[in-house]
Amino acid sequence: MNWTLAIPEIVLSCCGMAILLYGVLSRGNAFFMSSMLSVGALLLTGVLVLSTDAGSGFFGLFITDAFSAYIKLTILVAAALSIVMALGYAEHANMQRFEFPVLILLCSVGMLVMASASSLMTLYMGIELMSLSIYVLAAFARDDLRSSEAGLKYFVLGALASGLLLYGISLVYGFAGSMSFDALGAALADPKKVSAGLVTGIVFIVAGLAFKISAVPFHMWTPDVYEGAPTPVTAFMGTAPKVAAMALLVRSLAGPFSDLLGQWQQLIILVSIASMLLGSLAAIGQSNIKRLMAYSSIGHMGYALIGLAAGTPAGIRGVLIYLVTYVFMNSGTFACIIAMRRRGRAVEGIADLGGLSKTDPGLALALAIFMFSMAGIPPFSGFWGKYFIFSAAVAQGMWPIAVIGVLTSVIGAYYYVRIIKVMYFDNAEPAFDARPASLSFVAAASCIFTTFFFLFPAPLVAAADAAARALLG
Amino acid sequence: MIAALAFYLFAAILIGSAVMVVTARNPVHSVLFLILGFFNAAALFLLAGAEFLAMILVIVYVGAVAVLFLFVVMMLDINFAQMREGFQRYAPVGATVGAMLLLELGIVLGGWKFAPDAANFRFAPRIAELENTAHLGQLLYTDYILLFQLSGLVLLVAMIGAIVLTLRDRGPSRRQIIARQIARKASETMVMVDAPIGTGVGAADYLHPIPEAAEKPDTHEHAHAGHGGH
Amino acid sequence: MNTPMPGMGDTKMVIGLGHYLTVSAILLVLGIFGIFLNRKNVIVILMSIELILLAVNLNLVAFSAALADLAGQVMAMFVLTVAAAEAAIGLAIVVIYSRNRGSIEVEDVTMMKG
Repeated sequence: MNWTLAIPEIVLSCCGMAILLYGVLSRGNAFFMSSMLSVGALLLTGVLVLSTDAGSGFFGLFITDAFSAYIKLTILVAAALSIVMALGYAEHANMQRFEFPVLILLCSVGMLVMASASSLMTLYMGIELMSLSIYVLAAFARDDLRSSEAGLKYFVLGALASGLLLYGISLVYGFAGSMSFDALGAALADPKKVSAGLVTGIVFIVAGLAFKISAVPFHMWTPDVYEGAPTPVTAFMGTAPKVAAMALLVRSLAGPFSDLLGQWQQLIILVSIASMLLGSLAAIGQSNIKRLMAYSSIGHMGYALIGLAAGTPAGIRGVLIYLVTYVFMNSGTFACIIAMRRRGRAVEGIADLGGLSKTDPGLALALAIFMFSMAGIPPFSGFWGKYFIFSAAVAQGMWPIAVIGVLTSVIGAYYYVRIIKVMYFDNAEPAFDARPASLSFVAAASCIFTTFFFLFPAPLVAAADAAARALLG
Repeated sequence: MIAALAFYLFAAILIGSAVMVVTARNPVHSVLFLILGFFNAAALFLLAGAEFLAMILVIVYVGAVAVLFLFVVMMLDINFAQMREGFQRYAPVGATVGAMLLLELGIVLGGWKFAPDAANFRFAPRIAELENTAHLGQLLYTDYILLFQLSGLVLLVAMIGAIVLTLRDRGPSRRQIIARQIARKASETMVMVDAPIGTGVGAADYLHPIPEAAEKPDTHEHAHAGHGGH
Repeated sequence: MNTPMPGMGDTKMVIGLGHYLTVSAILLVLGIFGIFLNRKNVIVILMSIELILLAVNLNLVAFSAALADLAGQVMAMFVLTVAAAEAAIGLAIVVIYSRNRGSIEVEDVTMMKG
């Protein structure tokens, strides 16, 4: 059975339940302590992930390899950054509750399981554990109409997406005869066994996963939910779950379904182009920075999908590097957004950033670095993420999509640079409130990674390379 | 033949009630038809040989989920104009649902007589020589232990979520604190007043509020519950 | 849909896999219709989601029988569990939404344009 492979997940869920007990039994507000304990639990889990052997356990339901370890570490870092960010968020008193870090921990368990899924059943349970936690988190500020509306929208569309994903799983199970990735791969190697029902099932599964990474045409929920959810939750939703869902997409398409490359490649290319175009064009007219980030994330997922469409180890490596740079850019940007408070009230308009360079040069510099990086301007990490992806696509002879990617990056650069212009050249707005140290910490850490990635890229690139090779052999 | 008839009957009612769930004007009707649909789906499960799942479907869905739906529909006070018309309005629908269920139960129970024919009811041979339930149990706690535990976590998340979203600690609500009730002494609560003839009892004599400190030595969150026992 | 499955071709069969798949497909379509055509009430949308999950379960059970493999039934059990959890969370969200908004009409869920 080899259950020791799942020790990180087991330890993390036990920590989550222990912190839940602590929060319930302690008198007074346990939010701060349970957040700190949760960050500790995530760190501990990270160490355990690093020390777990590669192998397959639980009768083929669960697999650990370099790929899953890479993804898990990324997820854990993203979750820890979100918890730290939430410490500095005081918009709704209701947010300061110990259930918040506990839900993030349980959500992380789901995402870790997703990263290790080697059967459609594990995939489904991981996705549901993750999604149900996020539905609750999105509606967490329960006295705020926008938050509950965001929760409702995300819930309805998310449940529909998981329903379709599940229908796809049932079709694949029926027409291929198994749900384990190994058996599916073996079954699909024989082209005679590939029936229409099977392809339909795969399309349903891809659609369900595309919803989770908010790729076009399953992106409708993203701007509304990003805007309405409490900002730390938005920061969390924008990073870790996308990494996990992208990992599943990569693992299932490049693993058991790799023999159907010709069938899904076109689909992924179309989705990728549509996401890049919509992400860059629709973001131009936005005045709310959280909505802007929503469209930006749609575009970023489009870029990452290019690497998957290439279908080579180099392409997968590009996706993995891109995801890590994306997590840090996004977390840093949201730390800056949470810091946008004026006289105790959160502001979200881009115009509110006017003249930030004079009132708060540190925050302005950090946000400018993240914007440059998102636009893909060297030497920041966002450029290197795009570089690895585009070079992999070009190596496969996929010139057109690489050209479209570069073009949409240029369009996207317009609205990123516009924010920098507002901060540095517009008239000064009143200064923001003093920001908590936790936000400065997240912004600074992300900033350091984003700025100096190009000096020491070797460890990350080597890890991504090992992960991609573990997947594609 | 009987299997086919049963299948068509259950499937038709299932689909019909699904249509009604989606189209009914009144959400209470929708829930009732959902229940009917679940019963018929359970019957279809039985026909396919999934006995345990059929029972679970009835217990979990009809017993818990559908009742939860019904509870929320009623609690939210939607369609208030229609709801106010009361029970009688739902009686015909309820009776219809009930009658159909009864009819089906009758048919199903009558079906037991066709025991020699039972093999044809399922289109799968029984796996190993095990009961469906025993076999499922053996799989669930061995091969699928990981997913079993994960589904436990899913339920935990649902519990935390439902509590964190909807539970409100209403400050001024009056709770019964039995220990305090028992600890009361007559001397603290009752006052004997001499009522002089002709003047009666002045308000000041019997309406003295009991001193706060003496009444409530413990000032935790139930502080507002004082005076509840008068 | 008519491909013969192992374990079901030999006996004289009145009801086959195709019948189950058809019923389940109709249920799926009804559920999706219920979500998109419903303009009245959010709770009916939640019920439509339950219909979709029921369709999936029917599929899984039918395939499990046709393949003589219990994995489908085990999966159906997990789907039931998750569906119950989903209903609880969905209803909790609907309750807080209606508290804040005072209505659960679908047309009212438009505070943010999107």
